Amino acid sequence: MIRIRGLQKSFGTLPVLRGVDLDIADGEVVALIGRSGCGKTTLLRCINFLEEYDGGEIRLDGEPLWYRAAADGRRHRVSEAEARRMRQTMGIVFQQYNLFPHMTALENVVLGPRFSQRVPAAEADALGRRLLTRVGLEAKISAYPAQLSGGQQQRVAIARALAMRPKILLFDEITSALDPELVGEVEDVIRALLSDRIMMVLVTHALGFAREIAHRIAYLSEGSIVELGTPAEILERPKDPTLKEFLRRMR
Amino acid sequence: MSFARWVAIYGPTYLTGLGWTAVTAFGAAVGAIVWGCVLLLLRLAGPRWPARAVDAYVQLFRNTPVLLPIYIVYFGFPLVGLPWPAVICGGLALVLQNGAYVSEILRGGLKAIDRVQFDAARSLGLTPWNTFRKILLPQVLVYSIPALGSQVVLLLKDTSLLSAITVTELTMQAKLLTEQTGAAYEAFIVVALLYLLLVSTTEVMFRAAHRAVRWR
Amino acid sequence: MPPGSFGLLVQGAAVSLALAAAAIAGGTLFAIALTPLAFSRFAVVRALYGLYVYVVRGTPLLVLALLVFYALPALDLRTGPYIAGTLVLVLYVGALFAEVFRGGVLSIPRPQWESARSLGLPPLAKFRKVIAPLVTRYTLPPYVNVCVMTVKASSVLSIISVWELTLAAREIIERTLAVFTILGVAAALYFVMCFGVDRIGRWLERRLMLRGFVGERA
Repeated sequence: MIRIRGLQKSFGTLPVLRGVDLDIADGEVVALIGRSGCGKTTLLRCINFLEEYDGGEIRLDGEPLWYRAAADGRRHRVSEAEARRMRQTMGIVFQQYNLFPHMTALENVVLGPRFSQRVPAAEADALGRRLLTRVGLEAKISAYPAQLSGGQQQRVAIARALAMRPKILLFDEITSALDPELVGEVEDVIRALLSDRIMMVLVTHALGFAREIAHRIAYLSEGSIVELGTPAEILERPKDPTLKEFLRRMR
Repeated sequence: MSFARWVAIYGPTYLTGLGWTAVTAFGAAVGAIVWGCVLLLLRLAGPRWPARAVDAYVQLFRNTPVLLPIYIVYFGFPLVGLPWPAVICGGLALVLQNGAYVSEILRGGLKAIDRVQFDAARSLGLTPWNTFRKILLPQVLVYSIPALGSQVVLLLKDTSLLSAITVTELTMQAKLLTEQTGAAYEAFIVVALLYLLLVSTTEVMFRAAHRAVRWR
Repeated sequence: MPPGSFGLLVQGAAVSLALAAAAIAGGTLFAIALTPLAFSRFAVVRALYGLYVYVVRGTPLLVLALLVFYALPALDLRTGPYIAGTLVLVLYVGALFAEVFRGGVLSIPRPQWESARSLGLPPLAKFRKVIAPLVTRYTLPPYVNVCVMTVKASSVLSIISVWELTLAAREIIERTLAVFTILGVAAALYFVMCFGVDRIGRWLERRLMLRGFVGERA
């Protein structure tokens, strides 16, 4: 499970996260919603330390991530090697440009297992093929990203994240850049992942999809979680006025 | 001797060189831009052979070092009855070389103009000459200013090669000073600084020009 | 054409090509070391990189060459014009390559970097499998342009007594006054070399494009 306490981050003098608390249970899916600039993407990126944060802590299964308290009471960043190890427990999929253009779909997927986790080539290969089949792309194993549609690229990106056998998957608006007809195939893949019971955090604008697959939805505004609850609570019985306004705009 | 004293004593020498460099560079830059426009017009002109000739010309000058035209004019012109002063020979060579690049830059600027503008001009009944004057040229110049600025900077630096044909510009002065005084470091470091000054000034001027015409 | 001069010019061309090749090799290695400085966490390091590039790009190559040419004996390094000349070219061309690489790195979309980080790739694997291939594909056209510039820049070294094609031509001219023929042949030889380098570059680009990646041709 993930425990986030008091997460704070500023870009220069601009505060972006003002003390975020969030728990994610094993197998839970949490959607982060909110207006642009509310901090939801920053929160996601702090979880796998693509952004450094100024205060607070993140724990995975009890282990504090990214910073250690030193003997002098101050916190220090963990070493790069430690950070790499920690990152391997998480998978992330971005809005676009996920895949390395000079590698085939399969090469993209097996890159992590082979070079970060030192899985032997044959085993990594088999794993990659299984995962690509799982996301419906066994015919595209040797295709380059330029030969794939946006939806197919995102599905390969998901397979690549899964190949690391992560404890948590992070999705940063992964369908926002897709043509509408391609969104469904990506959502299908995520739906199928529910049975794996991996923790998932999705930053998304697709409220309908969030309602369907999220166990809880967190609404952020100006750097903190203003309202947190089940999809029914958040989307049908919103309490916070800014949330109501946000939902009204999104209809 | 101290740096300050050096500058005080040899200041006039540097200034002479600086003057020659600046004047030559300015003259050659103007010449190159004009020549580049001519080349561009030739390329756009109806018949095919002028365009081909310009293409060959540009390819030739892009794939040969600038010292060669400098030597050809300087050593060759006297042989055909044109014993021009070294600085004119050098300037001409720089114009011929850089004109090729300028025409390419302007051609790129031309491509950046939407085809729609030409259709609009035609439907307004503008003559080709007026189209060129009022629609094409201003826009081409605006688009091309940054690249032209870079090219002028290159031209400025190439004036240093004229020292090889006895033109008394900055680099030549530095060489003379070194032979006179043996103080190579001081001589050349000051010259390097002066070039940096010239280059930066040119870049600032072009950036300002770009900003000035952009918001029309 | 004066007897024997064609052979001399061809020899000179071979020397020019060798100088350029050495400068390209040395300059590329130098740039690989230099470019990371442009992205350093420390502002001082980034400023030093900027200063180096500013000075090298703002000073004529001839002045840099003369500086090095006169500086080396002062440091008791009597190495002869070829070493001095190659050194100058490496310092000069290295800065140009570094800027090309820097531009290439900047044009790589951010999610590519972040994907490599998120996969937890160790540094060597990250460089070998992600950074180097991506930077190569994004920088190939401007890299080839700098290579052509290097061949042309080698002619400047003639002024500091490095014997190569331009100096060979000049020597023959001063002896025989066959200005137009000799310089014409020299120009043709440079053309062949530069054009050749450019063609090789385009061929490489096409090959890389076939591996599924589409780059931008200047």
